[in-house]
Amino acid sequence: MKVLVAVKQVAALDEDFEIRADGRDVEPDFLIRDLNEWDEYSLEEAVRIREAGTAPVEVIVVCVGPEDADEALRKCLAKGADRAVRVWDEALAGSDAIAIARVLAAVARKEAPDLLFAGVQASDHAFAATGVATAALLGWPHAAVVAGLTYTPGAKSAVVRRELEGGTLHEMQIECPAVLTIQLGINAPRYASLRSIKQAAAKPIEVLGLEELGIAAGEVGEAGSAARVRRMYIPDRGRAQMLEGSVEEQAARLAQIIKDATGSAR
Amino acid sequence: MVARDAVTRVLFEQFSPAAIGAFYAIAGVAVAVFGFGVYVQIRKYRRGAAAEIRGGLLGRFGAMVGTLLSHRTVARRDRGAGEAHRLIFYGFVLLFLGTSTITLDYDVVGPLLGVHFWHGDFYLWFSLVLDVAGVLLSGGLLYMMYRRGWLKPPKLDYARPDRKPGDADYDRSGYRREDWAFLWTLLLIAITGYVLEAARLVWLAGRPDVWDYRWWSPVGAIIADAMRALGLTAPAAAALRWSLWWFHGVLALAFIALIPYSKVKHIFTAAGSLLLRDPQAAQRLPGVPQSQERAGVQYITDLSWKQLLNLDACTKCGRCHEACPARAVGAPLSPRDVILSLREFANRTLESRELPPAAELDVHGKAPGQVATETLWSCRTCMACVEVCPVAIEHLPLIVQMRRKLVEDGTMDPQLQKTLQAIHKSGNSFGESKRKRPAWTKGLPFAVKDARKESVELLWFVGDYASFDPRNQKVTQTFASLLHQAGVDYGILYEAESNAGNDVRRVGEEGLYEMLATANIKSFSGSSFKSIVTTDPHSYNTIRNEYPDFGGNYSIEHYTTLVLRLLQEQRLAPKRKLGLRVTFHDPCHLGRFNKGYDAPRAILGLLGCELVEMGRCRANSFCCGAGGGRIWMPDPVGADRPAHNRMREAAAIPGLQVYVVSCPKDLTMFEDALKATGNEGKFVVKELIELIAEALQAEKSPATAVVAA
Repeated sequence: MKVLVAVKQVAALDEDFEIRADGRDVEPDFLIRDLNEWDEYSLEEAVRIREAGTAPVEVIVVCVGPEDADEALRKCLAKGADRAVRVWDEALAGSDAIAIARVLAAVARKEAPDLLFAGVQASDHAFAATGVATAALLGWPHAAVVAGLTYTPGAKSAVVRRELEGGTLHEMQIECPAVLTIQLGINAPRYASLRSIKQAAAKPIEVLGLEELGIAAGEVGEAGSAARVRRMYIPDRGRAQMLEGSVEEQAARLAQIIKDATGSAR
Repeated sequence: MVARDAVTRVLFEQFSPAAIGAFYAIAGVAVAVFGFGVYVQIRKYRRGAAAEIRGGLLGRFGAMVGTLLSHRTVARRDRGAGEAHRLIFYGFVLLFLGTSTITLDYDVVGPLLGVHFWHGDFYLWFSLVLDVAGVLLSGGLLYMMYRRGWLKPPKLDYARPDRKPGDADYDRSGYRREDWAFLWTLLLIAITGYVLEAARLVWLAGRPDVWDYRWWSPVGAIIADAMRALGLTAPAAAALRWSLWWFHGVLALAFIALIPYSKVKHIFTAAGSLLLRDPQAAQRLPGVPQSQERAGVQYITDLSWKQLLNLDACTKCGRCHEACPARAVGAPLSPRDVILSLREFANRTLESRELPPAAELDVHGKAPGQVATETLWSCRTCMACVEVCPVAIEHLPLIVQMRRKLVEDGTMDPQLQKTLQAIHKSGNSFGESKRKRPAWTKGLPFAVKDARKESVELLWFVGDYASFDPRNQKVTQTFASLLHQAGVDYGILYEAESNAGNDVRRVGEEGLYEMLATANIKSFSGSSFKSIVTTDPHSYNTIRNEYPDFGGNYSIEHYTTLVLRLLQEQRLAPKRKLGLRVTFHDPCHLGRFNKGYDAPRAILGLLGCELVEMGRCRANSFCCGAGGGRIWMPDPVGADRPAHNRMREAAAIPGLQVYVVSCPKDLTMFEDALKATGNEGKFVVKELIELIAEALQAEKSPATAVVAA
C-alpha cells in the first residue's frame, strides 16, 4: 500500500527585500526557503498511517522544483518518508497550479498510490488549487480541507472530516484512490532532529525529467499555463503614521492631525 | 610483674581446634559471598557502554584521596552529618586496619616467617588506638541515629516528587529499613567489641599480664570494673566472652559478606566515583560520535560503566534533592530519584546471569525504575546537583543524554520544537531574520566595528537575548557605550553570529548544537581578534568549555572581569558612589559553572554599593529557571517557579533597593518574577552594566532616585 505526499519548497520573505528587476517576483536572495507548513501535516498523517502498523505502507514524497528543493525532501525523509522523488526541467519554470498538477498526476499514475495527500495550500502563492486540480486530471475523487482521517491500509475507502465554516465538520466517505488536501492541525507534526536530517542526506532522491513522465515541454511552464504573473509589487502605503517623540510632542501632533482632519480651528 | 614486652592477647584462647576450624570455615564462606557479590557488581558495570575518562590517573587519584581524608564534600552545607561521617569513617578505617594488622601477624608473617610483632608496646598502643577508634565510630553512629530518628531533615525524607502514593515504586520503606539496619549493625559490632573486651578482662582478672595493663583499653576497663562491681564472676565472664566472641565475630563477618549487596558498598563505589570524577562534567557535555547509531541514552546498557558506578555511589544523602530548583517548585524531578530509579533499574536488569532482551532495558517511561519524560524536561541544567554531590555523581550529562533520545523521537513541548526549528532556520531562538541581529547598533551615536571586515583587539560575542530581546537591547547598547568610553578596540560579527548553542546542547539537540558551534567557529576563523568577551554567561560557558572539542580554542571572558579591569585601570572612572543597598544573583553559568563569583562583587564594591548576600549565593546560588532550554518551554500554569522562589528570598532582605543580575536571561526572568510576586515598586531588577553606567554619570538618573527615595 502506498501514500503519495505532494510537497512544496516554499519561500518566505526576509526582513527587508527587493523586487526582481523584471518586476514579477522577489529577488531570490531575499527569500528564506522551507518546507510548506501544510505539507508537514500531510506527511505526518501519511507516516502515522504507516506507523499504525496494520499492513506494510510506503510513504513517498514528491516535489516539483529545482535542486535546492532537495532540502525540503531531506526534511521529509528525516521525518519518516520512505522515498523521495523530485521532478524538474527548466521548462517547468513559470508553471501555474494546473501545470504543476499535470506533473503530479503523471507521478501518481506511475506510482499508483492508494491515497494522494497535498496541503490545502502553499504558504507562498496560496492558490489552494494544485491538489484538487491533480484529482481532476486523474479522475479521482477528492476531499479538500481535511481535518480528520480514518483509514485502514488496504481499505477500499476512507472516512474524512472536513472543516467547514463556523466550526462545523463535514464527515464523508471517499473511495480510494483519492486525493485529500490536508488542513493544519490535523495532527502534531514531529520534530526532525538535525541528526536525522543529516542521516537523511545519505538517502537517495530520485530525480525525474519531463520525458520520463511522458509530458511535453509545452504542457508545462509558461507555455502550458493559463495564468501568468504580470507583476509583483508593494501597494502604496496607507495613511497610517507613527507618532514619535515625547508624550507631549505626540499629544500635540495628534491634536494637530485631528484639527486638520475635522477642520476645526478652536 | 610480667615482662612488658610479652604482653599480648592470645587469639582463640582456650578454643578447641574444631572451634577454630569452624571460625575459619565461616570466615571463608563470608569471603566467598563477598567475592561473588563483587563479581556480580563488576559484571553489571561491564554491561555498560564505554566511558571516556578525561585527565591523568595520578591527578584524579590524588584528588580522591584528598577528598576522602578531608571529608570536604561530605561536610559541605551539612556540618553535623559531615562531622559524624568523619568520625565513622576514621573509626571504621582504624578498626579495619587494626583487624588487618592482627590477621597479618597471626595468619601471614607468623606462620610464614615465624615473626610476631603484635605484643609489648606495639600491642598496648594498638589497643589504645583501637579503643579510641571504637568511640569515634560509635559517636558518629549515634549522631546519625539521632539525626534520622529525631532531627529528621527534609532531605532524608525519601518521598518522591515524580511518583504518586500507590505507584509501584513510590514506597521507600525498604531504604529506611536498610539505613537503620546499617547503623544498628555497625553499632552492635562496636558495642559487642567493648563488652567482649571487658568480659575477657574479668575472666582473666587473675592474670597480671592482662589485668595490670587493662587501662590501655580504657573503655573495656571501665566496663570490666562495672561488671566486677555488679558481681560478675570469672567463670560467668568466661561464658559471656565465649558467646559474645561468636556473636561479634559472625556479625562482623556477615557485615563484610553483605558489603556488595547493601548500601555498605558505597565505601568502594563512592571512592571509585570520586576517582573517576570529571570536574568539567556539566560544563563540557559529551559529544555524539558520528559513528554512533543512536543518539542519547535509551537502554540501561547505553549508560557508560562509569555512570553505572555513579548510580551505586549514591548514599541518598539528599543534598541534590534539596538544591534542585525544579524540585523546590514542585516539578516532578529530584536528581536523587533519577539516580535511585536508574540504580534500581540497573540492579534488576543487569545483575541477572543473562542480559534481558532490549525491550526490558528501556529506561524511558513510567514503570518502576524508568524515568518519565516530564521528569527529564523539568531539569534546568543548573548544575546544583552535580556541584553539591559529595560522591561526584554526574547527574546532568546523564539527564541530557536521556533527553537526546527524547529529541530524536520528537517527544518535546511544541513551543520548544518551534524554537529549535527557528534556530535551525534563522540561527537565533527568536525566529528573527539574521539581518536583524545587529539592529540594536542603529540607535548608537557611534559605529560598532564589523569584525568580519577589520581586525579588532576584542571580539564581542553578543548572543541571542542581548541581540533581540527589547529590554536586553538597551543593556547591550549601554555595554557598547562603556566599551566605547573606555576606548576599547572591539567589534562584533553582525549577521555572522549564531546562537552559541549552550542551551540547545543542554536541551539534547546535539546535531543542531554541532551545526551552531561549527558555524560560529567558522565565523571566528574569518575574523581577526585577540580575545572574546560576552555579556551572556551561557555563550561564555559553551565557547570557553565546549568549542575546544570542535577545534575552537579562544581566550574568552565574561564582561564582569573585563569591566573590573577597566575600572581598576581607570579607563572607566565612576563619577560618584551609588550608595545603593543591593544583592547579587550569581548566574549558574557564570558562578557554579565557571567560578566567576568575585569580579561582579568587586565591581559592586567599586561602585559604592552595599552588598547584602542572599542565603543561597555563590556555589549555592538558586537557578532562575531558564536554563537547559526551559526558557523556551512554558511553565505549568499556577505552579510556583524558581524565579518566584528566588524573588521571595530577595524580598526578605530589609531595605533592598536593587536586585543585581549579570545575565540577559536573568534580567528577563527576574523582571517578570518581580511583578508576579508583587514586589514591583519595592525594589528593582537591574543589570550590573546599568549600575556601572549610572555611576559614570554625574547626576542621579530618575529611575534610581525613585528607588532610593
